[in-house]
Amino acid sequence: MATSDETDDRVGQAYRRRIRTKIRTATRRSRRAARPVWDRVRFARQDLTAATPALPRVAYLFIAPFFLLFSVFLAFPVFYTLYLSFFEYQGVGQGSLFWIDLGPVYIEIPQIAQLNFVGLGNYARLLGNDLFWQSMFNTSYILVIQVPLMIGLALALALALNASFMRFKGVFRTAIALPVSANLVAYSTVFLLLFNEQLGFLNYVLAGVGLGPVPWLTDGFWARNTIIAAVTWRWTGYNMIILLAGLQTIPQQLYEAAEIDGANRWEKFRYVTLPQLKPVFLFVVVLSTIGTFKLFAEPYVITGGGPTNSTITIVQYIYRQAFVNFNLGYASALTVVFVAVVSVFSVIQIKIGGED
Amino acid sequence: MREQRRKDAVWRFLTYAFVITMVVVMMVPLYWMLVAATLPQEQFLQFPPRLLPGTAFLDNFAALQERLDFVRTIRNSVLIAVVYTLLSLVLCSMAGFAFAKYEFKFKEPIFYAILATLVLPIQLLVIPLFLLMAQLDWTNTFRAIILPWAANPIGIFLMRQNMKSIPDALLESARMDGATEFQIFYRIALPTMRSSLAALAIILFLFQWDLFLYPLVILETADMYTIPVGLAQLTGFQRIYYDQIMVAATLAIVPMVVLFLVLQKQFVSGILAGSLKE
Repeated sequence: MATSDETDDRVGQAYRRRIRTKIRTATRRSRRAARPVWDRVRFARQDLTAATPALPRVAYLFIAPFFLLFSVFLAFPVFYTLYLSFFEYQGVGQGSLFWIDLGPVYIEIPQIAQLNFVGLGNYARLLGNDLFWQSMFNTSYILVIQVPLMIGLALALALALNASFMRFKGVFRTAIALPVSANLVAYSTVFLLLFNEQLGFLNYVLAGVGLGPVPWLTDGFWARNTIIAAVTWRWTGYNMIILLAGLQTIPQQLYEAAEIDGANRWEKFRYVTLPQLKPVFLFVVVLSTIGTFKLFAEPYVITGGGPTNSTITIVQYIYRQAFVNFNLGYASALTVVFVAVVSVFSVIQIKIGGED
Repeated sequence: MREQRRKDAVWRFLTYAFVITMVVVMMVPLYWMLVAATLPQEQFLQFPPRLLPGTAFLDNFAALQERLDFVRTIRNSVLIAVVYTLLSLVLCSMAGFAFAKYEFKFKEPIFYAILATLVLPIQLLVIPLFLLMAQLDWTNTFRAIILPWAANPIGIFLMRQNMKSIPDALLESARMDGATEFQIFYRIALPTMRSSLAALAIILFLFQWDLFLYPLVILETADMYTIPVGLAQLTGFQRIYYDQIMVAATLAIVPMVVLFLVLQKQFVSGILAGSLKE
């Protein structure tokens, strides 16, 4: 560098100085070593903050408590149920499954239960069991009547409360949605009394118009209908709220356009409301179907599954097998089947939800 | 034109009639419960039934209290539901924040594993959890009721969805000011989530409040019962004392109805959020 400097003229020198300055500035921009100290600090800090969202350790700290409880109390039991369904339960675990003895530190994982491997035996037993099929039939019967009835009522109410001429909308909505806040067992006890054959209010009203007394709780057919009535009372308002929210998202212009085309009330419902409401409507149907499948508190309290098992639901049957007869292996197999059925509906629900 | 107007009037009348009928149907069981809870036993057993409330509520309550300490039962339920709601809110919002605002290894697989459990009904867990709690010697304890669903999949899902809407620039600027990651979560992210947290709190509270099958299996002694378990035990006696059960049902339902009336907006957004889809 020095030799070339000596041979050059002043213009060349100035030119080169400019180049050198340019290079130096460029270096300063690109290489941290060239920056003044304060600049480096600032840059370092910016680099750090730019990198923070990728700092994995912080994220793991945030999810750790959730994940710990999730693994122990949700993920593990799911697999353990599946495992248990291939065994016969013989009693609470006595020995230990696994232990490490490190002198001062002694870790022992106890055996959860004493089990006897039966392969697919539990599943075979379930398929051949009358009470299993009875509980499936009862659940399906309640489902087929209750879900359309409730959703029909909920939709009609939602449409009525969404009508432009309707007054006191808030009051009506509140009153109809009120059962949503009722505890499941508490409202079931109320229905137990309401449908009581001798004391119940319902038979009193029916007697007033010359009917009855209807054996609401002591006859198989009527007992199922009592359950249907109870569930419908509790959940109609809930579904109405969801449907009403769905109705309110339908653009008003569509109705105006239909009116200009001379559509009457029914045509507006058929060609504007229904297609627009379809995703919400299907969603409510699936949600209610799953809910009815899980029915337990109502039949447990109102009918106890009777008379002669005519209202026993699938969950109630599982409960009986597991915690009355302590056939935990068999009950696990029942649970697996139950979950398989419910999951199919849940997957449909998520599919519908994913569409819009 | 007049024809049309008459049709409209009939339609309106029918709509009102339908709505009012439904309101009456919804109110009758609740009213009947109040009547039964306030009538003395002997008046209650008369036929035709009395349709107006009496004044024997406190007597019936005292009789109930003799058979089952229902005040304690209510206290248990409130305690469990409140502790559960708070714990679950903390866990779900923290984890939801991480899933919304950080990149880390296995983020997607972990999230979808958690989400997959949304599909599974909670009844699935009752048998293995019972065995697990028996092994831990946790049966008949509140922690056995509170802990399992504290890591609530619906909660983490809702929190992640809502936390995504927090602008990254807001968190960035807090970082520039030297806030730690936890401060960013606690001071910046959480306060913007107030309404989502309220809706989630209602979902969680009602979930725990209505939980029946699992506490029925876990709780063994009367001093530990929650409201659903206590009520179910009352109906299981040889002779059913309806007046006392209706007092218990009133005590279980009326506070929640009042809460519903006061917090109706939050309840509705809770229902809509709980039924939410992606």
